[in-house]
Amino acid sequence: MKDKGKQASKLSRRGFLRLLGSGMAAGTAAVTAGPSARAASTGWLPAQYQTHGRWPVQVRGRIPLASDNPAIVRDDRKCILCGQCLEVCQRSQSVYGYYELPLKNDIPCVHCGQCSLWCPTGAIVERDGIAALEAALADPAKHVVVQTAPATRVALGEEFGLPPGSLVVGQQVAALRQLGFAAVFDTNFAADLTVMEEGHELAARLGDSQGRLPQLTSCCPGWVKFCEYFYPELLAHLSTAKSPQQMLGAMVKSYYAERRQLAPQQIVSVAIMPCTAKKFECSRTGQDGLADVDIVLTTRELAKLLKKKRISLADLPAAAYDDLLGQASGAGAIFGTSGGVTEAVARTLYAMQAQSAPPPELLAFKAVRGLAGVKEATIALPERTLTVAVCQGLRQARAVLDRIKSGERRWDFVEVMACSGGCIAGGGQPRTMLPPQDELRQARSRGLYQIDASQAAVRVSTDNPAIQELYRTYLGQPGSERAERLLHTRYQDRSSQLTASSGATGGETHG
Amino acid sequence: MANGVLVDLTRCIGCGACSVACKLWNDIPFAADKPMSGATAKLADQNWTVVKAELPQQDGQTVQRFVKQQCLHCEQPACASACFSKALERRPDGAVVYHPDLCVGCRYCMIACPFAIPKYEWNKTFPLVTKCQFCADRLADGDSPACTSVCPTGALRHGDREALLAAAWQTIRHDSRYIRHVYGEKEAGGTAWLYLSDIPFQELGFKTDVGQHPLPAATNTFLKYTPLLAAAWGVLLTGLYYYTKRRREQAADGQKEEA
Repeated sequence: MKDKGKQASKLSRRGFLRLLGSGMAAGTAAVTAGPSARAASTGWLPAQYQTHGRWPVQVRGRIPLASDNPAIVRDDRKCILCGQCLEVCQRSQSVYGYYELPLKNDIPCVHCGQCSLWCPTGAIVERDGIAALEAALADPAKHVVVQTAPATRVALGEEFGLPPGSLVVGQQVAALRQLGFAAVFDTNFAADLTVMEEGHELAARLGDSQGRLPQLTSCCPGWVKFCEYFYPELLAHLSTAKSPQQMLGAMVKSYYAERRQLAPQQIVSVAIMPCTAKKFECSRTGQDGLADVDIVLTTRELAKLLKKKRISLADLPAAAYDDLLGQASGAGAIFGTSGGVTEAVARTLYAMQAQSAPPPELLAFKAVRGLAGVKEATIALPERTLTVAVCQGLRQARAVLDRIKSGERRWDFVEVMACSGGCIAGGGQPRTMLPPQDELRQARSRGLYQIDASQAAVRVSTDNPAIQELYRTYLGQPGSERAERLLHTRYQDRSSQLTASSGATGGETHG
Repeated sequence: MANGVLVDLTRCIGCGACSVACKLWNDIPFAADKPMSGATAKLADQNWTVVKAELPQQDGQTVQRFVKQQCLHCEQPACASACFSKALERRPDGAVVYHPDLCVGCRYCMIACPFAIPKYEWNKTFPLVTKCQFCADRLADGDSPACTSVCPTGALRHGDREALLAAAWQTIRHDSRYIRHVYGEKEAGGTAWLYLSDIPFQELGFKTDVGQHPLPAATNTFLKYTPLLAAAWGVLLTGLYYYTKRRREQAADGQKEEA
């Protein structure tokens, strides 16, 4: 007792209070700095989700995307679960919801990229190809060449403040040369090549009685994968001709490599495309296990790269494509819009059969132009009249495909483009309007028809001197052994990767 | 009514909308090194729910399945019984909620939980425990949890637990693809979240060794005597004190008398 009393007297009353005060201050600071309650949340959410209540929320979820999807990726931090991707995937493309659950070993996706055009926050975008391209351009051992699709030239300008549909053909070439590409090719040239091969194949199918009609187009990789998933019984109808992108890639690594005395392994083949599915398509192997195209950039990515390099597209003087693999007919240009392939093939078939120029109605084939989901027409060729159907938007295509399958209707030639409007409104195009409107599609489409009608030196693929030279000096005839090896491909039945449904069941959305 | 959620794993497409809705509603930051979906998805202090991709075998073929993970909200939660500061509480509506203002950070709940759900904010100066709250404030307002309200395929169904359980068995009886087990019906004494699957649960990473008895019951049989024991101990010591005190006094008195 005595000892304790001594100790207590050492601490004055003031000292004791000071000690107590500072302790309390430290405690208060700790509590204030610590985290607050989590039992009731005050988090941010999209407006349609913000308030409590018994109303069903207007938030719809989102499409599934595999983490290894080669074409599109999603940033969770930007997603607001608005469900626009579901809408377009299900109602316009008929992919989501058209398979039974549970899933098998695949998350079905045709890589069309329409979801990236509809996503209001930019959460869904193409898988980045810029880094790979910059690495290739920086490597002195690589010979980096590029091709540009028909539809990029009417949309790239939108990223630089030009009105929709502005033609930036020459500026695009100039910009690509500034980026350091060794050569700039035109995919329109390969479109002409596709017309030659596909036209030859159609002529052969018309001649035999195997019942492999109609011939289905194979230029659109989204549609091709869709066919592999949902219509495997129609794969025999699908033209074996590669798409223009793949054909040009194949020509670069054979014809061009030979002419320039380059090893195909040394060439990095780049494609600027209005499309995300092209990123998937380039993984289909070409000749000798080499990819026809190594890197695909969307129109949006090209714009991003140009802005990064401070290249102002609109201010550039126009430049011309390389002579080799760079000259194209007007028929090649209109490949980028729905109905264009049909029109191009019709012109070429006519020219082949009649040995004369096609009549004016085939040079402005009104019946296959425009934005209707399914367009039907007849083509009066000298030998016979062809019936054709042109579909845009995969859901619209189903109506035609189902009738082919059941034998209810017979067509000779059916064109399918996965995206409504064709490539000009492809999943890799600038997000000028959200969601993309017909007005925008029409403006871009007009641009392509303008190239065909008033800028192209020739209007028919067979008249393209570069094509004639390619066949004379390298390929021989359309459908020759070499052409078959380089320009044609095989398809894969993917129907076992999912259980297709009519769309009524499966992933029908609730709520 | 006790809330429940029925997860039909055959209907999950792995879109991950639920995990994003959780982040949005609860205002939790995204962490690049803590994925919310895919094969490497893991519950973490910032991930209250994740969708884990699994690749089990079915009929000799590899198939994809997606498993949504979050707190299962036990009917008799071990975490709440382990928590001496009452920071974890099971509400009558079925939600097992965490009150951070009561938490002392001992992490007993993390050890107690048979499903390893509660996570600790290791990288914070003043860390707390985190876990799914069943959107208790939404439940209180008659809403569904944020995650279940954004599921596009109906893989997540929110409702009365008993009704969902009946629906689950109905589904199993009518569809031979499903395995005859509702995970969560009896696990650890029953949980609010119930799972249906066409693949055995252990192949999908579920803990199937948690038993059917509620975990608090395991310790309650003897721990319930703790207060009685404490009181009896006090009485005993007090008695001993007075006994020794009295003996000492008596001894002192004896010495005085002798002197």
